[in-house]
Amino acid sequence: MKKKKEKGLYLSDRPPLTAVKVGMLGLSYVLLFFYVFVILWPLAQILFASFNGNHGSYIQIGVSFSFSMKHFQYLFGKTYFLNWVWNTILIALATAALTLLFVSFTGYAYSRYRFKGRKASLMAIMLIQTIPSFAGIAAFYTLHSIIASIAPWFSRQMFLILIYAGGGIAGNTFILKGYIDSISSELDDAARIDGCGNLQVYRLIIMPIVRPMLAVIALWSFIGPFLDFMLPSILLNDPRSYTLATGLHTLINDVRNMHQPVFAAGGLLTAVPIIILFIALQKQLVSGLASGAVKG
Amino acid sequence: MSYPKTVVDDIGNQYPRKNLLLTRDADEVAIQAYKERIQEARTAEKAFLAQKAERKSTFLQSVDDPDRSIRHWLAAANESEALAAFYQPLVDLDYDFELDYRQNLEIADQLPEIAAGRRQMLDLRDQTKKALIEAKKTGQKEEVAEFRRLRKERLAQLDQENKELKAAYKKRMISAKAFSNEKREDALAARDQIRVLRRQLPVNAEKERLRYARHRLRQDRKSHLRVLNSDLSDLRRKTPVETTRRKPLISYLTWPLPGLGQLVVGQGIKALFFFIGSLFLYLVAIPYALGRGNYRGKGLFGLVSLAQDGSRLDRSVIFMVEGVIAIILLVMGLLLLYQSFRDVRRVEKQMIRGIRRANWFETRTSVRRNGFPFFASAPAALVTLFIVLLPIAVTILISFTNYDPSHQSKFSWAGLANYKQIVLGQGIAGGPFWHITGWTVIWTLFATSLAILIGFVLALLVNQDRIYGKRLFRTVYLLPWAVPAFITIMFFSIMFSPDGPLTSVLSSLTGQITNIKYSTWGTRIVLILLQGWLGSSYVFLLCTGILQGIPKDLYEAARIDGATGFQATRHITIPILLFQTAPLMIGQYTFNFNNFSIIYLFNGGGPFEPTKYGNIAGSSDLLISYIYKLTIQKQYQGIGSAITLIVSLVLIFIAWVGFSRSKAFREERL
Amino acid sequence: MKVELVNIGKKYEGREQFTIRHIDLEIEDKDFCVILGPSGCGKSTLLRMIAGLNSITEGDLLFDGKRMNKVEPKDRDIAMVFQSYALYPHMTVYDNMAFSLKMRKEEKTVIHDRVIEAAELLQMTDYLYSKPSEISGGQRQRVALGRAMVRKAAVFLLDEPLSNLDAKLREHMRVELVRLHKSLETTSVYVTHDQTEAMTMATKIVLLNDGKVQQVGKPSEFYEKPANLFVAGFIGSPTMNLFPGQIEDGVFKADDDFTVEPDQADKESLAEYQGKRVVMGIRSERFLAGEAEKNNISVEVDVIEMLGKEQLLYCKFPNGKECVISEPGHFKYAIDEVHHFHLDLEGLHFFDEETSERIG
Repeated sequence: MKKKKEKGLYLSDRPPLTAVKVGMLGLSYVLLFFYVFVILWPLAQILFASFNGNHGSYIQIGVSFSFSMKHFQYLFGKTYFLNWVWNTILIALATAALTLLFVSFTGYAYSRYRFKGRKASLMAIMLIQTIPSFAGIAAFYTLHSIIASIAPWFSRQMFLILIYAGGGIAGNTFILKGYIDSISSELDDAARIDGCGNLQVYRLIIMPIVRPMLAVIALWSFIGPFLDFMLPSILLNDPRSYTLATGLHTLINDVRNMHQPVFAAGGLLTAVPIIILFIALQKQLVSGLASGAVKG
Repeated sequence: MSYPKTVVDDIGNQYPRKNLLLTRDADEVAIQAYKERIQEARTAEKAFLAQKAERKSTFLQSVDDPDRSIRHWLAAANESEALAAFYQPLVDLDYDFELDYRQNLEIADQLPEIAAGRRQMLDLRDQTKKALIEAKKTGQKEEVAEFRRLRKERLAQLDQENKELKAAYKKRMISAKAFSNEKREDALAARDQIRVLRRQLPVNAEKERLRYARHRLRQDRKSHLRVLNSDLSDLRRKTPVETTRRKPLISYLTWPLPGLGQLVVGQGIKALFFFIGSLFLYLVAIPYALGRGNYRGKGLFGLVSLAQDGSRLDRSVIFMVEGVIAIILLVMGLLLLYQSFRDVRRVEKQMIRGIRRANWFETRTSVRRNGFPFFASAPAALVTLFIVLLPIAVTILISFTNYDPSHQSKFSWAGLANYKQIVLGQGIAGGPFWHITGWTVIWTLFATSLAILIGFVLALLVNQDRIYGKRLFRTVYLLPWAVPAFITIMFFSIMFSPDGPLTSVLSSLTGQITNIKYSTWGTRIVLILLQGWLGSSYVFLLCTGILQGIPKDLYEAARIDGATGFQATRHITIPILLFQTAPLMIGQYTFNFNNFSIIYLFNGGGPFEPTKYGNIAGSSDLLISYIYKLTIQKQYQGIGSAITLIVSLVLIFIAWVGFSRSKAFREERL
Repeated sequence: MKVELVNIGKKYEGREQFTIRHIDLEIEDKDFCVILGPSGCGKSTLLRMIAGLNSITEGDLLFDGKRMNKVEPKDRDIAMVFQSYALYPHMTVYDNMAFSLKMRKEEKTVIHDRVIEAAELLQMTDYLYSKPSEISGGQRQRVALGRAMVRKAAVFLLDEPLSNLDAKLREHMRVELVRLHKSLETTSVYVTHDQTEAMTMATKIVLLNDGKVQQVGKPSEFYEKPANLFVAGFIGSPTMNLFPGQIEDGVFKADDDFTVEPDQADKESLAEYQGKRVVMGIRSERFLAGEAEKNNISVEVDVIEMLGKEQLLYCKFPNGKECVISEPGHFKYAIDEVHHFHLDLEGLHFFDEETSERIG
């Protein structure tokens, strides 16, 4: 935007360029473009591999390129890819919804109310969230079978959702609390005078204001299940119930079922929407991460 | 054996005693007289209260309001007036009489006013109802037509405004932002005005008026009665009570049954809730702890026996989990027991000092006010308890057992055996522990530092003044973060596989067959490079954000002070960057410490060096993937849990140190 | 509406001491009452108790004789303007103003009329549909006022509403607030720490310190008859000069080596202070240039602050004690010169040093 004016007269505030600086600038560009190459080359390989009909079960170098959709056809026809997509989206949505529900209440309560055990439990929250979620794996199976014995409809996927949501409560509460803290409590007072009760203050006033942060929290909870490999690989046992990460892994982890280009195709399809999401929302995503960490 | 001379109220004001039986300095005669007067008063009170129904029916004959609430209130006010008159002469005798007097006075004062207010609102409602029927009967054809005309006009006006705006925008008189804002505002204004016009149609207006009247009727009743109750409870707070008790005995006698104590001190409804808690304690928690209603286990006993004496199908781990659940339920039950005991004791102690017990209205109000945060976080707390804490507790317990491949179904307590194996590096499972720890530390330090370095340098380079195409670079550098890591890792794994593309490239470069995945250090170095590639994006984005936030005048000041661009970078940019990103960078280190995916997906922890690492772990395994293999794949859950515990403790310690030094914590801003 | 505070006290939960206690106050209908005090004196707590945002531990709050202690804020017939304006950032100006009425399920047409009415009075019809973030500070202030106005409340509570504005705008809003108060015919309770605001706007000032009322009265009374040393030091700029000393034979002997013979009225009230310690206060403008028969002081000029119409001389007694003297701007003074002044006897205030209460 501001570039237009800089032609013609030397109007820039910056000191004029010297030879050394020109050299440094050139070097900068070389480095930057080199790293662009470093990033794009492997990603381009995924792209090419998924469309290259000359690949068989393996991706090899030196194979000439011929455009083909056969890997995609395989992906949709002979694997449970659609199931995986569907599972992942369901799990992700449920996780995001559940997390929002829990965190809305806790974040508001921790920010606006002073109650007994508040500080201690906050401290506990902080420490608990550093314990990796795998710490309980030994008990997960058993816990699931106990719950399932009471409620037979309780599937492993639901358990996975609970683990994701439960694991996210601590950190997200902290993030949301910090954000609500930054909203003047005079707003609450004004709302009370205007006739709002406890929950109305949250629903009508605070929630609309913290919506950006809630969106970030929802987004991260939503993306989490897309990226996680370990928990679904432990908990889910039927290929049809897999998520994308575990599902795609089945295409490359076993020689009998090896379809590397198909994996590339699936990976591509998975990555594209997420990349778009990230690029579109990078500011919010980074701010969410940053605020969480600064407060912690 | 004597009572204090004064009693206190809720806020510590002192009042003289009225009950002569409890004062020290009264003589026998006075006490006797006092006893008689009390006796007399009580009998009179009983007789007076017995006539209540009679008084009510006579009074109601003179009231002809059709509304039930109003009749009820007026009757109550009348009764209170009578009672107040009755109690007035007794006020000096006892604080109970005084409270009765003052409360009845308050009721007699407020209720008629509330009733009158309701009458007014009811009249308004009936009036509106009639008007509505009337309006419906006459119809509103003309008005509707008029409304349509006005709406059309208004919409035309909006169009006109929009046109003018657009023209102004085209002539560049206003900016794009102002244009869209103005447009939105105009639309809103038009919408609101049309809405108001529609509401002014006779039927609509009456409907709304009716709605308002009904709302007010509901609302007023609620709020007025609440105010009355609050005022009455205020009187309770300010009128002390005298009791002959000296020690809070009830609480000590009734603690085994939550609710009983509350019932005895006279808090009936509160008692009901504690009784429900009792049901939980005696019908759920304790039976469960004793082994009733378990899934497979034996409650608390399961923790001791670990199914050793059970049938072939009984599994120790289920016994253990159910044991832990039993403990949790029991602790919840005992907490309830304790809370109930404390509650009764507090009430009793206060009564001894002179403070009246809270009635149900007061209890409910205070629970609503102070209990909100607890209710709001209860679901989250429950989920955390069972999904996060319970598994952790079980893991801790398992670490003290011999849960391994040969003891899958039945295992037993083994004390510190697992820890001993780990520390000494013994056994199949514990052997490689120290090797793996060493590599984990190296990995964490190098992989993270590399990513930070790359991200840092890129951010500095891109954010130079004279670099063009910043957006392009930023978008590209974001990609490694945006592409799900498992995809890139798996793909790199493919490319480095024995006849993968990169292996071929490397082979042709070095002239010999270099198979990265078969070489310990090859794998390790590639892993570190790969993580540098993956992790740099995030660091880059963070640093970019911070760089853009550094105020420009800092650099201008530096230039005035004679700093060259390089010096400015060194003395301003880098310190700010380091300072602001430090906590996040620590987060990156802990993230990589636990970076399971990259290790597991790239080479499965391999290559394997059985001489050094045994059969379970490979030479690129981190502690976390080692734990995964131990517990999930090879079923050495005992040792796996022990390592988990050690790792978690170290992480918690680091987090705690960082946390307790953080600004938020030190300033008590929590 | 008349607002009465009878023996009001507040103790926060978990604290031993009362934050404020034994506050008795009567605010007449249509009064503009300013509660003034340094920060932390409990003035905001007092206002919030009137609003119902803080509970009242002790005493009675009466609106027109009706007890209000337990009435919910929304039912109290009050409106409040906050220091940060507390506008709901996600709503348009219109919705901000309409919110309280909407919560009461008021008829939409009534709401619309009230909002438009307020907007016209405050001249903000042009940005009714903007968000608070899109308008200036002064405009936000108006919206906050408008939001209070649409409630048609009988009592206006204002919590330091001008402290976020710049000096110029503040001056302007002061005038406008007073005008608004008059046209709305409400009772206003205004909390501030700024004595200028208090002196210029109030019909009644309540000066609070340490949770206690120091003085209640008209603005002029505060300046002319401060009730104690705290009031004397708090009100007026520059602050009143205070000289501790002793009464001997009806004459005030300052510790700073000068004597003053008070006028007849003061002498009478000082009669019983014979030989006792008192503090004499005198405002800077009550020093008269030049020497008189008695009651003279001679001081060295240390710093001069030229304000145009007048000048402030920061002077030093030989023993180092400082005092501020104001003289007309056209008088010539220079730094380090020694000058003589005499004291205007009608501008003297005497305080008991022990109790710090005013004498006479």
